[in-house]
Amino acid sequence: MVATICPYCACGCGFYLEVERGQARRIIPRSDHPVNQGALCPKGWASLEMIHHPERLKWPLRRTADGWERLSWQQALQILADNLRRIGDTRGPDALGFLSSTKCTNEENYLIQKLARTMGCANVDSCARLCHASTVVGLRRSMGSCSVTNPLSDLANSRCILVIGSNFAENHPILARWVLQAKEAGATLIVADPRRTPTAWLADQHLPLRPGTDVALLNGMVRHILDQGLHDRDFVQRRTTGLEQLRSSLADFSLARAERITGVSAGELARAARAYASSPASAVVYGMGVTQHASGTAGVEAVANLALLCGQLGRPGTGILPMRGQNNVQGACDMGAMTEFYPGYRLPEDPRTVQVFGAAWGSTCLPARKGLTSMEMMDAALFGTLKAMYIVGEDPICSHPDQSRTRQALQSLDFLAVQDIFMTETAEMADLVLPAACWAEKEGTFTSAERRVQRIYRATDPPGEAREDLWIVSNLARTLGLNFPYTDASSVFQEICRRVTIYKGLVDLGDFGGFWPCLEPGKWNEILHQDCFPTEGGLARFLPATYCPSTQEPGADYPLLLTTGRKVCHFNSGSITRRTPSLLAISDHLVVEMNPEDAAVLEIVEGDRVWVKTVQGSASGYAHVSGSIPAGVVFMPFHFPATNRLTGDARDPISHIPELKAWACQVKKEV
Amino acid sequence: MPEIFVRLDRCVGCRSCEMACATEHSAGKSLISAASEHPRPRKRLYVEMAEGTKLPMVCRHCEDAPCASVCRTGAMTQDPETHIVTRDAEKCIGCWMCAMVCPYGVVGRTAEGRVALKCDRCPDLDVPACVAACPTHTLVFMEAEDFSELLRVDAAARLARGYRSRA
Repeated sequence: MVATICPYCACGCGFYLEVERGQARRIIPRSDHPVNQGALCPKGWASLEMIHHPERLKWPLRRTADGWERLSWQQALQILADNLRRIGDTRGPDALGFLSSTKCTNEENYLIQKLARTMGCANVDSCARLCHASTVVGLRRSMGSCSVTNPLSDLANSRCILVIGSNFAENHPILARWVLQAKEAGATLIVADPRRTPTAWLADQHLPLRPGTDVALLNGMVRHILDQGLHDRDFVQRRTTGLEQLRSSLADFSLARAERITGVSAGELARAARAYASSPASAVVYGMGVTQHASGTAGVEAVANLALLCGQLGRPGTGILPMRGQNNVQGACDMGAMTEFYPGYRLPEDPRTVQVFGAAWGSTCLPARKGLTSMEMMDAALFGTLKAMYIVGEDPICSHPDQSRTRQALQSLDFLAVQDIFMTETAEMADLVLPAACWAEKEGTFTSAERRVQRIYRATDPPGEAREDLWIVSNLARTLGLNFPYTDASSVFQEICRRVTIYKGLVDLGDFGGFWPCLEPGKWNEILHQDCFPTEGGLARFLPATYCPSTQEPGADYPLLLTTGRKVCHFNSGSITRRTPSLLAISDHLVVEMNPEDAAVLEIVEGDRVWVKTVQGSASGYAHVSGSIPAGVVFMPFHFPATNRLTGDARDPISHIPELKAWACQVKKEV
Repeated sequence: MPEIFVRLDRCVGCRSCEMACATEHSAGKSLISAASEHPRPRKRLYVEMAEGTKLPMVCRHCEDAPCASVCRTGAMTQDPETHIVTRDAEKCIGCWMCAMVCPYGVVGRTAEGRVALKCDRCPDLDVPACVAACPTHTLVFMEAEDFSELLRVDAAARLARGYRSRA
């Protein structure tokens, strides 16, 4: 039996893999694990099916005129190194782009960003760009730290839980365990979501706002709290600055205006605001419904304003909980797999950063600036300035908005290398495909959403000649002549503990890991911001959050509003779950959820094949007619490649997160 | 005897119970074999959507169980002590009388054969797999008296809170 951590979402549930004759045969949830206590969601239960899947990539492949040609590792690494070197030398390192993977371990993310930066390339990013880039930017600006403030299980101590744009009952089912425990003890649960999701079923109060109006909802609540004097004056005075700017920015944000914009009645908004502000311990849980907007950063800052204003931070049962999607998206950001940050959130513009890492890595060419985000890499590829990409464990064709544009961008590259466990839609386009090991086949650490750094252990061997990403990246770096003296994951983790201040004390992770920030072994604060904020001066800042109406107002041609999200049995781009038989048995096709009124007008009944069209493109799916979605709104999960043919290229100006939650569309029955 | 109870207001329809059930009843006790194993592992409880909410439907192991009393071959039998109803695959002839009389529709069939299939309450486990798997504690495994007490305490707390907020 090998202890491991679930490879799906960022809850960080623990289970054992029972291994028989080299095969992982069975999952035994850990009843002693503090996060899941022996429960798992269906994705966790089905995670075995990816390990010995027949479609796993088994050897390095090169595209030739006659199809894929099998290569040895030595050949493959040489080809990759030669191409990166050739393009880096002739075009400069900025012609290269690296996408790291939030499915990979901390150690691997650390090495991938080190590889990029020691080659002088600042263009290193990860899929954190697509889910919580706005959280990273927004929460850092307002309170200096960009992670979940309280452990997930601490939600049980909450007396009021406000959930905005998160359908945790489907996407992080383990969280429902703690939320229900709080409810049992009398907590109020408020869920703001356009759809009546399974999370909303559990709610005491459901606020069905129009897609894309989160900022208006939060601003309305904040203004009401200020007007009614419900805020925590003591906390605001001792711990924050900028209240007056906030107050003046909300001068015209009456509840009546919030009602007009969001479609939620002023009375309901006032009730929710009062419940949140006046409970002894309130928490906010938010998800991609807040972040994945062209005004995503404003949404996050509005959440922070609400929590700061009511002093609902730094105590048990309070806090801000951005629900991260990938098992190690927190870790990837910590390790600097975002172009804005070196490991430990050190800014590239700070001369000390380059000095410290330059000395540590023996490199003189580290970029002292931010490079391109993953969204900008696609722009640069189209523009012709980015010539080669090395994509590890990500499937931009499925996950990026505006699929045809992404496809064009990747096609216009001189060289594309993709490293993954399956032949994803993106890998199909690559010049070189490298087979990687999956989570059960390697060692390392994952950092879950609650900042819990946990170890995983190798249970089985990778199929064929697939190798751990750590092995591939280290050997690639050595082929390039770089100094990568790492033998295994623990040697990398030791370096991380030395170089990343927040991980400094995490030398012994024990059974259930440890939380960062941890400066001394065994000592950490599970709850952040108890006495001060990690900002200069220790105060948090109110940042006026401006409501920008979506550019995507439904009109005559496109009368409906498309929003995207997840289903319980699938995960992100679906490259794993669409290959998992027991999940496909439950849900195997793309559904288009729509209101009975809209369906009646369009003469669509349950199960009809329909075409959804936006200005970007069209996609077909099967209608699911349901009263749980309001009239005028259409919902599609993004686990199937077709969905992102519909979304377009609008993004948040600060964090570059794409708008994926509100697009004007039309639906037609297939005839 | 503890039994499986469903707390009706808590299910979020995640279907973890179905997965855990199929896993526990596979030969390798593993979902991975689901695709290759014969007979294919099947779940014995079902999450159903009704009236806009979801509910796990699981065998109640009824007193004087209709499925056992109509079984013509003696394949479906009820243990007089535990009241657990099990079926003997060797004796089952697939006449489906049990399926027809089950008030909850929780008698299914195996993937390949004409053989009835139902909850056996996981004889190898202390707590049935579906209960252990449930993230939201919708499914609980306890004595009937304890379950009623749990609901009573819940209801009392709700009443007390309502009463207090009014006062």
